[in-house]
Amino acid sequence: MPIDAERWWRAVALRDAWQAHGLATGPSDRAATEAAISALYQLADRPPPVFTWVDSPRAALRLVPPGPVRHPVRDLSRDVANDIADRWSALRWRLDGVLPSRQWSAWSTENALDALRAGHSPAYIAETHLLAPLLSQVRDRVVRFVRAELGETVGLCWYGQHEVDWIARFEVHRLLGGLSFTDEDSAELELWAVLARSCGWWWPREGHCVVSERPVVTHFEAGDEPRLHNENGPAVAYGDGFALHFWHGTRVPAWVIDDPTHERIAAERNVEVRRCAVERLGWQRFLDGADLALVATAPDPGNHGHELRLYDQPAGWGARQRLLVTVNGSVERDGTRRRYGLRVPAWFDDPVDAAAWTYGLTGTQYALLVRRT
Amino acid sequence: MKLFELLDKTNLDVLDHLEREVSVPVVDGLHAQGDVLVLPFDLVSSVVRIDVHALLADVPPEGVELVRGAAGGNPHTLTADRNAARWTASVMDPLGLAVAYVENTAPVYLVHPEHGATGIAPGRWLVRRQREHVAVRRRTSFSSGWSGSVLVAD
Repeated sequence: MPIDAERWWRAVALRDAWQAHGLATGPSDRAATEAAISALYQLADRPPPVFTWVDSPRAALRLVPPGPVRHPVRDLSRDVANDIADRWSALRWRLDGVLPSRQWSAWSTENALDALRAGHSPAYIAETHLLAPLLSQVRDRVVRFVRAELGETVGLCWYGQHEVDWIARFEVHRLLGGLSFTDEDSAELELWAVLARSCGWWWPREGHCVVSERPVVTHFEAGDEPRLHNENGPAVAYGDGFALHFWHGTRVPAWVIDDPTHERIAAERNVEVRRCAVERLGWQRFLDGADLALVATAPDPGNHGHELRLYDQPAGWGARQRLLVTVNGSVERDGTRRRYGLRVPAWFDDPVDAAAWTYGLTGTQYALLVRRT
Repeated sequence: MKLFELLDKTNLDVLDHLEREVSVPVVDGLHAQGDVLVLPFDLVSSVVRIDVHALLADVPPEGVELVRGAAGGNPHTLTADRNAARWTASVMDPLGLAVAYVENTAPVYLVHPEHGATGIAPGRWLVRRQREHVAVRRRTSFSSGWSGSVLVAD
């Protein structure tokens, strides 16, 4: 093995510590935050700004105008956010230059230590086993949903604690590869690291800076690759009530978690949201409570071992229609298969005919289905 | 072809829990990938027409996205070796379900992050989306209007 195990475990612990910062809740370290941001202003030749602290990114957006996002060619405006962005890109560019060049090879699913013993470089295994999962956990499973929920132009800002992926990357490679950055670069990286340990999203503007607190709640499901999930309330919530609800990683409206009634489920247009709401209620309770009478069942062509089930819907669900319950052809992460309920016209008595209709076919045609995934 | 070979070749990706060492089956017949159905064109050629002005485009190795999920993720992507397949979205389907016509002389592959990949044997194919019944007729861009149905959004 090319490196000692002890150093590898220190890298794992380092990554874990950054992940904890990225997902941390609770009050910011305001003094540390303001000092670090003031230092970044100073590097951009500006005096320290006046700080405004708010409870959530949504509250921050009410205080900062959208932008400034600079057009790379037309617009050479030198506002403070763009100056900080320029220095930030330059810093990352210089640090990237010191890192070992990336190897591209087939994704290794082996245990990290086995892969190291087999001769993969520690830098490569750190990317695949430590850093890619961190990126996915924080950016893909938290940041993009918060950003999408804000809905408006978020403008040029930084994510504070949610920037841990790139900071961790440099620190992990520095530890594993024994790399050295210049003193200036190390000091500048440390300013960003302080922010990732101390605060939420922040918006630098000329003369003033708006900083958001971190969430007060983040809930994940258990497991190796936890996704946002909370069946008793929001999975992400900020102090002022700005909140996002999730069902096993799927973003859902609050009612799905708080009050999934049969009426709301019946009215929901998005089949994925409806599925989550039914799962939240429990399929059995949904089928019982909705007073659905089973009309017929049939083997699902192409989906071996699974059934199509056709139910009559009670009055009050709108014009006459029936509910076809199908089982997904692919297995989920947890080994189960999702069930879906699709509404079909009321004139079908045969589940295969009803399933065929959803694709515009006759039952005889649909029965030819060779495979479903 | 193994799934990981296909993903390496196309730069596409699937979720981590899917087995990457499996061989991707090449199916010669009707098959479904979630809310998308691939059917032999002959099955529906009496009602579905290719626009006479349609230009068939090559399906590139990096793929074409045929359908994207409502939340912006989970696209169904069609990928093929160069000169193996041609496709068009200019299909006239009275039900409004068709998204693409594909003709291929070698296997092409339909890839989805949650469903993995399926190979499609050489032939002429129609790709259709799934619909469900709506009680109230709504005129939206997603609705085929007269039929009282909406496309399944997953």
